[in-house]
Parts: sequence; C-alpha cells; structure tokens
Amino acid sequence: MDADSDVALDILITNVVCVFRTRCHLNLRKIALEGANVIYKRDVGKVLMKLRKPRITATIWSSGKIICTGATSEEEAKFGARRLARSLQKLGFQVIFTDFKVVNVLAVCNMPFEIRLPEFTKNNRPHASYEPELHPAVCYRIKSLRATLQIFSTGSITVTVLKRKYTLPTPLDSEQGPT
Amino acid sequence: MSAAGGQGRPFLRVFLAPEVTYSRSTGENDQVSRSQQRGLRRVRDLCRVLQLPSTFEDTAVAYYQQAYRHSGIRAARLQKKEVLVGCCVLITCRQHNWPLTMGTVCALLYADLDVFSGTYMQIVKLLGLDVPSLCLADLVKTYCSSFRLFQASPSVPAKYVEDKEKMLSRTLQLVELADETWLVTGRHPLPVITAATFLAWQSLQPSHRLTCSLARFCKLANVDLPYPASSRLQELLSVLLRMAERLAWLQVLKLDKRSVVKHIGDLLQHRHTLVRKAFRDGTAEMEAGEKELRGRCQGPEQGKEEVASSSLDLPEGKRPASPTPLLPPCMLKPPKRICPPPPVSTVTGDENISDSEIEQYLRTPQEIKDFEKAQAARQAARSVSNPP
Repeated sequence: MDADSDVALDILITNVVCVFRTRCHLNLRKIALEGANVIYKRDVGKVLMKLRKPRITATIWSSGKIICTGATSEEEAKFGARRLARSLQKLGFQVIFTDFKVVNVLAVCNMPFEIRLPEFTKNNRPHASYEPELHPAVCYRIKSLRATLQIFSTGSITVTVLKRKYTLPTPLDSEQGPT
Repeated sequence: MSAAGGQGRPFLRVFLAPEVTYSRSTGENDQVSRSQQRGLRRVRDLCRVLQLPSTFEDTAVAYYQQAYRHSGIRAARLQKKEVLVGCCVLITCRQHNWPLTMGTVCALLYADLDVFSGTYMQIVKLLGLDVPSLCLADLVKTYCSSFRLFQASPSVPAKYVEDKEKMLSRTLQLVELADETWLVTGRHPLPVITAATFLAWQSLQPSHRLTCSLARFCKLANVDLPYPASSRLQELLSVLLRMAERLAWLQVLKLDKRSVVKHIGDLLQHRHTLVRKAFRDGTAEMEAGEKELRGRCQGPEQGKEEVASSSLDLPEGKRPASPTPLLPPCMLKPPKRICPPPPVSTVTGDENISDSEIEQYLRTPQEIKDFEKAQAARQAARSVSNPP
C-alpha cells in the first residue's frame, strides 16, 4: 500500500462498556424472580440481565451499581442503560438514573496488508511489545489517548480506549458493588 | 529530668523524647521477610540450574528486590511470588540476549503459563523495563542442542545420528526461510523450529529417514512435540514445493511433499531468488485475478466476452496450470464474509421509553407463579436425591 493511496479504513465499534447508579438498594432475588432474561449468580452476589434492543448485558449489584456491556455506540449504551433503569423501576424499585459514564470503547479495524510483527516491534519500541509465546499480536500502547491496540499479523487491529478509570469489582465488593 | 529553678539559677526544662521501642532502635522491622528471603534464594537457585553467569544472578536478584518493594507484590499470593522468581530470571536473560523461553521457566517452576504471563506483564509495567524480543537464531541454536540425536545410544540407531553443526546450519536456514515466508510472524516460535529441525534432519539422509514421522522423531530426540508443529511442517513443505516449481531441473520431477525433502539442500542454496520470484509471481497472479473478478462484477456480459476471448487464445488442455501463489498463510485461507456495514444509527440515548417496550423484560404474575413452582419442585427433587 502506498503512502499516498486513498484507501479508506473502516473502524467498527464492537463494544461500549458503561456504568451507572440507581441510588437505591436492589433486591437481587426479586429481580431474578420477576425479571425476564436474567441469570442470578448467588455466589458472587450479582444478577445478569440481557436486553434485546439494544443488545446489551447488564451486571447488577445489590448496592445499585450497574455495568452495561455490548452496545455498539455510546448513545446506544445510554439508551440501553436507561431502558434497564426503567425496567427496574417497573419492578418497584425507587430508581434514579445517575452517574452514567462510558468507561471503555472497543473497536476493530482491518489493514489491507499483512504486518511483520517482529520488525514492527523493533521499530516501535517502547510503545510496542510482542511476546509470541503468550499472544499472537503486538500490544501497542498510546498513553496520551489511553488506548491499547492489539495488532495482528493479518492486518487486523483491535483498539481499546479507556474513557474513565474504573476498577472491576472483586468478590469482596459484591455487597458494595463496583467502585 | 528537670532542674527546678532556685536562687537565681536558670530554669532548665528538658522535653523528654517519646519512648523508642526496641524494634525501632535496632531496625528489626527493616529485615527482609521470610518469603522474600525464600524468593531471593529461589532466584539464585534457578540461575544456577540454568548455569547462568554470576552477573545475571545479581541482576535478577536486584529485580526481585525492586519488585518486592511494591505493595501489590508484597501482598500477593505465594503462587505469584514463586512465579515472580521466574519472571525476574527471564527478564535478565532477555536483556542479555540469553535464549530462554517462558515454557522452560514454567516447567522448572511447575508454574501455570497463565499465571506466569500475568505476573510477567505486571512486572514489566511496574518496573518500567524494556525487555527485548527473543532472538530466533539464538533460540534455534539452544533448542537444537537439546535434541539427543548427535550420539548413538540404545534408543537412537546409528542411521538416525546426525552431525550437530550440519543439522544446526540447515535448521537455521529453514527457520530463516519460514520467517521470510510469513510462517513465523504471529506464531509461537517452538513449533516452527521443531518442524524445521525435523526437515533438516530428514534432508541430510533422506534414504534412511523419510519413513520416520515427526512424532517418532521427537520421541527419538527426547523432546516434546508441540501441538502446532504438524501444521507448521505442512506449511513449510508447501513453501518448499512452491519454490521447487521455480527450479528448472526440479519442475520435470513432479515432486510431492515427501519427495521434495530430498532436494531441500538445492532449494536452500537458491532460496533468496526463489522466494523473491515466487512472491512476485504470486502478487501478479493475485492482482490479475482481482482485475478479472472486478471486470466480471462490473458487467457480466463484458466479463463473458473476456472469458470467451481468453479461452479462444489457447486450446483446452494446453492452458498452462497456474501455480498457487506463494502468499502469507492468512491470505491462502478463504476470505471471511464481508460484514455489511451497520446501518446509520439514529439513537441519541435520550429517547422516550414506552411502557410496552419494558413489558417484555418483566414476567407476568402467572409466569412468576410457574417459576416459583418449578423452583420448589427442583428443591424437593434435590432433597430427595441427597437426603441429610
């Protein structure tokens, strides 16, 4: 591919992760009993609820903190989160939709050429790191954009952008929910 | 102690310092913890087992101590601390271009590769280290030296014994060829090296060794057979066949994947020219194919005319067979179905949500009753099958 060629690259957003709070305690047992498309994980203290439109999966903690994954745009993520909050309202909880934020965006892109990963890594230190024994792709970090790119030899690139710093909950946080 | 003021004597007030505990005064708490001491011993032991120079040992120990200063590592589980030993040694070896694989370290520590990889990435980030990549040539030399085929023994017949230098030289050339033809990038290096070593060994005495399979070869050499090695072997043989099609004196022989092994020496001698030619022809073939496809898509009638005219040029049966182009393996696989671009989304996130949309996510009262009945029945069935 020449440097001057006008090849447009399609970047497709495949996943948007967002979080929000309901500002009320949620009875997980009630959600599991009266909600449809739910999975109750009693051992870790959370409920998974899936929506069809938009296609998102929500992880609900009893503290009222909720993570939504699966949306393909930030607007869709917000719409899905609001729909979920509305569903919880219908179940009888005093839900207030607050603290909504998009934490992570995942996109994929395909280059029209193959990439020799060892040479690429050598020319792009220290941003690029390549461990073929662990993973077949080069991990390229752009600190200023808080982005991590996984570059494969086929030319496929996966981009993950961290929009907000977010700590995943541990089993000990099941009562308190994610921070 | 205080001195009371008296007849004109100055009043001296001495403020007593707070009591200093014994442990603080002797620095008892500054001692290295038992787990850290054990870890440092393990680092030294691992360096000795791998027969590394003493400078490596000091560097690895320094890294371990640096890592241990971080609270996340100090509070980590013992399993992680044990794996940390291997990570420090591996990083030291990499920085000195000493070929050591993660698999070897994990085998010596009886560690899980997933745990090792997580700890390794964490340590590299935490200490801000620049770890160079593993040099393929050095890895080939070290890995090939571990094959027990260089001396006759009860398990290795004389016809299978090979000269180490010859085998090493040929393996290196085959690995370089694999690297040039896109068989190494993005893949684990050991299966490629195993396949290259096997082919090098077979090609040095093909009359006695063509009947030996890859699995048997690894058993004779007393090395593990990595799972993808068979696929790498087939890919390498395909590349060699494509190259053989470009050599005039081999074209007439109609070689296959078995017989091409006898001519590996010739092919490696001319590999640079052959590979360049094969890639150039392969790219030209692909571009011609794409143009033809575009032409057909633009106008079926136009395409038909073109096909008809091309078929008139050469009579059937005398059309030259086009060799499969030499391309990276990912391009030889059938192309993935192109996903249609997603429709332009008009979602803003702030739309009104009607009640009817929400009803589908809530169970009706009847469904709730049925669900409770089903749960109760399941509980009852469980208590019957598992009586207290």
